[in-house]
Amino acid sequence: MSASSGEGSRGASRTAIATFLAPALVVYAGFTLYPVLRTFYNSVHLFKERTQEFVGLRNFLDILTQDPVFWKAVGNTATFTIVGTIADVLGGLLLALCLFVGPPLSRPMRVIWFTPVLMSYVVVGIIWVWLYDYDWGLINVILRWLGLGAFEQSWLGDPRTALWAVLVTHLWKWLGFNMIVCLAALHALPGEVLGAAELDNCGWFAKLVYVIIPMLRPTLINLLVLSFIGKMMLFDLVWIMTGGGPLWSTETVSTYVYKRAFDWNTFDLGYPSAIAVLWSVMIVLFVAVMTRLLRSRDRLEF
Amino acid sequence: MKLWLGYLRRTPLVAFLLLYTVVTGGPFLWVAAMSLRTTPEILDNPYALPIPAHWDNFIDAWTTSRYGVYFLNSLIVVVSAVLLVTLIGAMAAHCLSRYRFRANRLARMIILSGMILPPQLMILSLFQILLQFGLYNTLAGLSIAYVATQLAMTVYILEGFFAQLPQDLFDAARMDGYSDFEIFWRITLPIGLPAVFTTVVLNFIILWNEFLYAIVLITEDDKRTLPLGIMHFMGSHQLDVGMIATGLMISMSPIIVLYALFSETLIKGMTAGAVR
Amino acid sequence: MMKTRAKWHLATVVLAVGLASAARAEEVTLTVWSHEADEAAKVALREQAAKNLEKSHPGVHVKITWYEKDGLNTALRTALPAGQGPDVFYVEPDQVEYITNGYIIPLDSLINWNNIYDWARQVWTHDGKTYALPEEAYTNELYYNRQLLAKLGAKLPDSAQFTQAEFLDIVKKARAADVTPIDQGVGDRPYPGAYIIGEALLRKLGLEDYGKLLNGKLSFEDPRVVEVFTWVKQLVDAGAYPKNFMTLKLGESHHYFYQKPGALMFPMGSFYTGRAFVPVEKGGQAPDFPIGIMQFPAMDKAACNECKTVAVGASFAINAASKHQDLAAAYLNELATPEMGKRWIETVYLQTAVKTGPTEFSGPYAGYFKELMERQKGAKYFTGMPVDILTGQCKDTFVQVMNKAFPGGLMSVDEAVKTMNQGCYKS
Repeated sequence: MSASSGEGSRGASRTAIATFLAPALVVYAGFTLYPVLRTFYNSVHLFKERTQEFVGLRNFLDILTQDPVFWKAVGNTATFTIVGTIADVLGGLLLALCLFVGPPLSRPMRVIWFTPVLMSYVVVGIIWVWLYDYDWGLINVILRWLGLGAFEQSWLGDPRTALWAVLVTHLWKWLGFNMIVCLAALHALPGEVLGAAELDNCGWFAKLVYVIIPMLRPTLINLLVLSFIGKMMLFDLVWIMTGGGPLWSTETVSTYVYKRAFDWNTFDLGYPSAIAVLWSVMIVLFVAVMTRLLRSRDRLEF
Repeated sequence: MKLWLGYLRRTPLVAFLLLYTVVTGGPFLWVAAMSLRTTPEILDNPYALPIPAHWDNFIDAWTTSRYGVYFLNSLIVVVSAVLLVTLIGAMAAHCLSRYRFRANRLARMIILSGMILPPQLMILSLFQILLQFGLYNTLAGLSIAYVATQLAMTVYILEGFFAQLPQDLFDAARMDGYSDFEIFWRITLPIGLPAVFTTVVLNFIILWNEFLYAIVLITEDDKRTLPLGIMHFMGSHQLDVGMIATGLMISMSPIIVLYALFSETLIKGMTAGAVR
Repeated sequence: MMKTRAKWHLATVVLAVGLASAARAEEVTLTVWSHEADEAAKVALREQAAKNLEKSHPGVHVKITWYEKDGLNTALRTALPAGQGPDVFYVEPDQVEYITNGYIIPLDSLINWNNIYDWARQVWTHDGKTYALPEEAYTNELYYNRQLLAKLGAKLPDSAQFTQAEFLDIVKKARAADVTPIDQGVGDRPYPGAYIIGEALLRKLGLEDYGKLLNGKLSFEDPRVVEVFTWVKQLVDAGAYPKNFMTLKLGESHHYFYQKPGALMFPMGSFYTGRAFVPVEKGGQAPDFPIGIMQFPAMDKAACNECKTVAVGASFAINAASKHQDLAAAYLNELATPEMGKRWIETVYLQTAVKTGPTEFSGPYAGYFKELMERQKGAKYFTGMPVDILTGQCKDTFVQVMNKAFPGGLMSVDEAVKTMNQGCYKS
């Protein structure tokens, strides 16, 4: 009957496995496989006037050696992702801790802190473009009001500040989500361990680093990976706020792919597909390395 | 819970909490205020209170931009997509995380590979597929496209969580003679509810606000979804700030209402204690 | 036997006739995808053309779906390669890729071209075939606030054109009086920042060399080009543009000019009217706003100070995959009648590529139109905006440099010239 004999309940009959996996694989085969393969196929072709010419690795070579915008986009996206992911997850954890401590009004605050997560990128983008406006945006208005008028900037208009401005907006939107997940994880921690740390008379920072973070490791890793991938693929927010400008300072890999596929006056899909392939490979490598380093063996423990 | 109150000095913490609350809640209130004002009023004084409050802005937006239709379409598409992707994803995650079989690694890689290619490119090929299945310009097609785009992430989150469930539960269930499906339905799902909740929330938010696929895959106004409704006010010509704000409020309102009603349940669901 | 066979034949014939007449009585739907959903006058006009078509062709139903520009392009570029898409769709002259990839059909034999201006037709003619029907035409104009100019103590010469030095002087005067000299915003468009510098280049270089420059056959390091860049840098350094130039959106820049805070000058295409001539609550200018139109400043040692830019905007094309090409052509012809042209001018307040009879301008905007026509007298036209002509990397560089960074004060003349050459010049 079932092949579960030797392995406890870790094994299952072929039919069972097939039934569980089938729907997902069908969806994948039907709707994702073709686009994925097609993108790979396109990346080694050049499209001209409705025909495709096989060009081997030429697109990839061109991208890597002759395209300064690509490298600018990679640099921007990498900076954004690395700084952003760390800030995202760390920030979420810290916020969760603030609430975990049990200050008054923590329930309504929890609700309010989560609201930006619910808004679409369009909404968030529009609101923050207004906030960053040089003349009447709230940020500059407050700076002037505090007498710090010298610090007012064209936040989205200056290549030095634009990327960071977009990053702040992105964090504003997602911190709430990370906070809730961390909060959930904190609540799930066994009280005794925290109590024991208390007895050991550790300072709160030490407690954070040596007790909490290790215990939350699986959660944190998941959040890191999700945040990482989300930021590497970021498109909507940048598109709405700056369109990749000024002077390519907020150009991300996905905005560049979009521009080459839809904005440049050609139907050539080869080049943008090659960029996409390159980028996916980089993401996979990065995630693999990250999870290998961080995940270690404690997957099934608790 | 009062573990560290003694350690952390109260005032900076309280100040910080207040500040953060203002920072997250403020913009929302500001948009709400703007939605009740006309554009000239706003450009005159962006931060004033809405006095007089133009409630007819909302009626205007609802009637002239067919929000009722878009709302219904969004509801149909997103709810069905979220239900489907959660079911399919949970089944796959359950299988991948709890059963050992040779193709496990391969299957997981295949499914997760859907997460790393940019949707802006995938849409071109996805379009052709939907066309062939006769699903172009249909709500069903959009819904399935959404299932396809969210499946990888859903499986990822659920698989990680399900893998942490203790083995003893499953062994016990086996010994009690539960069938594979019953194990899934009665053990994994209920206990994995926090993770399931999380993915439902995340998927709902992402899909409710999704507009790239919505714009490309639906070409008739009658079938359009809500995000396109806001774009209507962001016409490249008029910049009706007041109406944009009104439109934003309308499109956010279902989510806000749902959230206000169910936030406790939601957060309880996501924070439900895991198995000790 | 014979009888049965005859009966069969009769039955078949009856069936065939029945089916044929059923098919004739069938409804045909013509699909149109258009942009500009928020310009009521244009919407009304295109829908009127639809109604006219439905009247003259019973059984035909025209369905127009309205998109925002970004959405329209994305949707089209996804649908067309798959052999889908509407029968008719909105296009703009820079979208040559539809032609080179064979997605739209030549219209030479399908449209009544007698009713379209030749120069407009030329915009869409490649290799001797015309591929789209131009509807909207516009010129680049320099709008200004009469009252503010008078307040600054300056007077516009009869030619309505300042010299380089005079213009710089006015900019300085305005800044000193705390008035923004030149209102402009590049927050959501790839072209406005380049109005001043582009028009200056046109006048300095003349029609031929300006064309060469845009087509990559003239280096940006040509001394005349560098002179123009240097002059514009002087303007920028004198504070010509608003502080939020980089992020100000097109619609907002209108408001900036004629409502709050107000500015002296506003370079814009003559489609300015689409946003300005609407009620104030909708973002339009006050009816008594002292609008004036001057010529872009004359360059020293220029080749052609009377040159102006004219361009075709909204146009419509027929999908090569359409199954109703004749019907589609009929719809386009409905848009190209003299009555439609007249209606366009009188309700959209904008020039058109369609020939109209004598138009009567009465009403509040008559004065504006008279002045607009005055400014066209004696002009030599260059057809096409830079963004219509540039493609690929050159276009991207143009958008980032000449449109944004250089007028935004982020680049020196040297840097700008070198970067433009890198992107555009094919030595």
